[in-house]
Amino acid sequence: MVAETAKKFEALEAQAQKLMSVFIKAGHEAVAPAIIQPASVFLDVIGETLRARTYVFTDPDGEELCLRPDLTVPTCRLHIERHSDPATKAKYCYNGPAFRFQPAGAPVVHPREFRQAGIESFGAPDRAKAEAHTVVTVLDGLKAAGLTDCKLYIGDLGLFRALLEGADMPLRWRRRLMHQFWRPEAFRTELKRLTTAAIDVPRDVPKELLTKLDPEHPEDAEKQVAAYLEERGIEMQGIRSLGEITENLLSIVADSKTQPLSAATANLLESYVRVVAPARAAGARLRDLLRDGDIDISEAFDAYQRRLQLLADAGVDVTHAEFEAEFGRTLEYYTGFVFEVVVPQLGRASPLAGGGRYDTLMRQCGAEEDVAAVGGAIHTERLLAALTGDV
Amino acid sequence: MSAPDTLVLAVPSKGRLMEQSIEIFANGGLNLRKVGNARGYRGEIEGLDNVEVVFISAGEIARHLKSGRAHVGITGEDLVREQMSDWETRIEILKPLGFGHADVVVAVPECWIDVRVMADLDEISSTFRQIHGRWFRVATKYINLTRRFLSSRGLTDFRIVESLGATEGTPAAGTADFIVDITTTGATLKANGLKILDDGLILKSEANLIASRVAEWAPRVREAENIILEKLGV
Repeated sequence: MVAETAKKFEALEAQAQKLMSVFIKAGHEAVAPAIIQPASVFLDVIGETLRARTYVFTDPDGEELCLRPDLTVPTCRLHIERHSDPATKAKYCYNGPAFRFQPAGAPVVHPREFRQAGIESFGAPDRAKAEAHTVVTVLDGLKAAGLTDCKLYIGDLGLFRALLEGADMPLRWRRRLMHQFWRPEAFRTELKRLTTAAIDVPRDVPKELLTKLDPEHPEDAEKQVAAYLEERGIEMQGIRSLGEITENLLSIVADSKTQPLSAATANLLESYVRVVAPARAAGARLRDLLRDGDIDISEAFDAYQRRLQLLADAGVDVTHAEFEAEFGRTLEYYTGFVFEVVVPQLGRASPLAGGGRYDTLMRQCGAEEDVAAVGGAIHTERLLAALTGDV
Repeated sequence: MSAPDTLVLAVPSKGRLMEQSIEIFANGGLNLRKVGNARGYRGEIEGLDNVEVVFISAGEIARHLKSGRAHVGITGEDLVREQMSDWETRIEILKPLGFGHADVVVAVPECWIDVRVMADLDEISSTFRQIHGRWFRVATKYINLTRRFLSSRGLTDFRIVESLGATEGTPAAGTADFIVDITTTGATLKANGLKILDDGLILKSEANLIASRVAEWAPRVREAENIILEKLGV
């Protein structure tokens, strides 16, 4: 599927020009970030799983580099290099190759070398507006390229975060559930664990030590842990300090003393992640779910409704858009709104386009603080395949 | 390059692994011996003239089987799994040989008394990052095995540091926070103040007799293989 014939190359180029002219007209500046990127940035953002799908290599200086697996991180880096204040407002667009390892036997619409055409908006204070603009611009691009029929899927991590923040539970439980959100199986296990009466204690941390630890008196706890280690001749080793280990033991003790998560809250979270409904109906479903409880997520809910309205106002067919609470994205850096554009001939596993909000990414790329950021990209080989029926 | 009718048999070139490999063949009545220089790396099996024996390192044997340069070889499952993401399509494990036992395990400092299982590691990973401004570093020579195992256990927030020797010393030296390494008795780990996580066993490995699925299998080569396998009781 890589443009192996001159003809396909030309077809991709012609298509890219159409996409880019839509993006530029929508106020995005065309940029061409470097193809070869330092691997460490991606490894820090995405983690070691990156190696499983990215071409990472070492250059003669021993520098670890990679062929960019997407253009979002490179565009963030380009923005930081240009502006001493990364919160500076900017809108970029690009068209260029990205590279991802594909196991033998992967479908042809998952080529290891493909071109992404996309847009990014940084520093826009009105989030819902910037998100709607992103979706509209991507859809306009698809339309200009000749696509007439597609389905929009949306998700919203902001809603889930608001639910968690509204629910009554210790901060560390909230963090754990957020962390596991991306892994449905682990999420359910964690939820079950938190609703079970006695939060299980690590087998090898003896009760005798734990009973001596009092979360109210952390300064005494550290001495207890030190004495315990000394008695058993265990030496401190590595970067984790005695204080850090004690802190974690104290939170284990605190967990065992905290009331388990209420069944009502667990049910609510469980029901929420199962919501799959047309975008408009999803709002009503959510309101129903929350009717009896005392969790207030009106702010996130209003943002969801407003975004939908902005999309409708811009002519997007929201009645046929589908909301999925458990939106499975492959890249974990999204922090709020997410979307994908799917066509029936390629199916859900091979979206034509996708994107969303990633407010923490700029900081992970080196900025001092979070920067509002939202973007979307089109998988141009897939678009061409969908248009030519060559799938 | 060997003649198309020749079966290439790859055997470990050093130490106990080599001795035990030769013994396995001897028990089956096959006399494996080096030709020419005793320190050379080429050999033969007495009475089987279209078999060429190459003595190379266990890691090299895995690569030879993967590429099809060797038809049959003896190497550890740990190396096979580390070097091939699609090992089942490339090689066939004919017989576990009962020697070269080694477990590939996840081991953390003994002083981490709050960490017993993989889930505990996952649990402290975000706090660790907040405090130290970086993710866990894991030292190992098994980069692929480690990445696959940790990811399958839901742990994604870590960085691998490649280590080609004395891996068990890296937490003390400060170059890594925990390790993935092979162990037979656990004594070396213990001596270095490390403990194995309760569910940290990645692989129980031993030496295996392995055939390459991607090598050229001419009829005469297949014939030679059948003779060898029969003698070895496979």
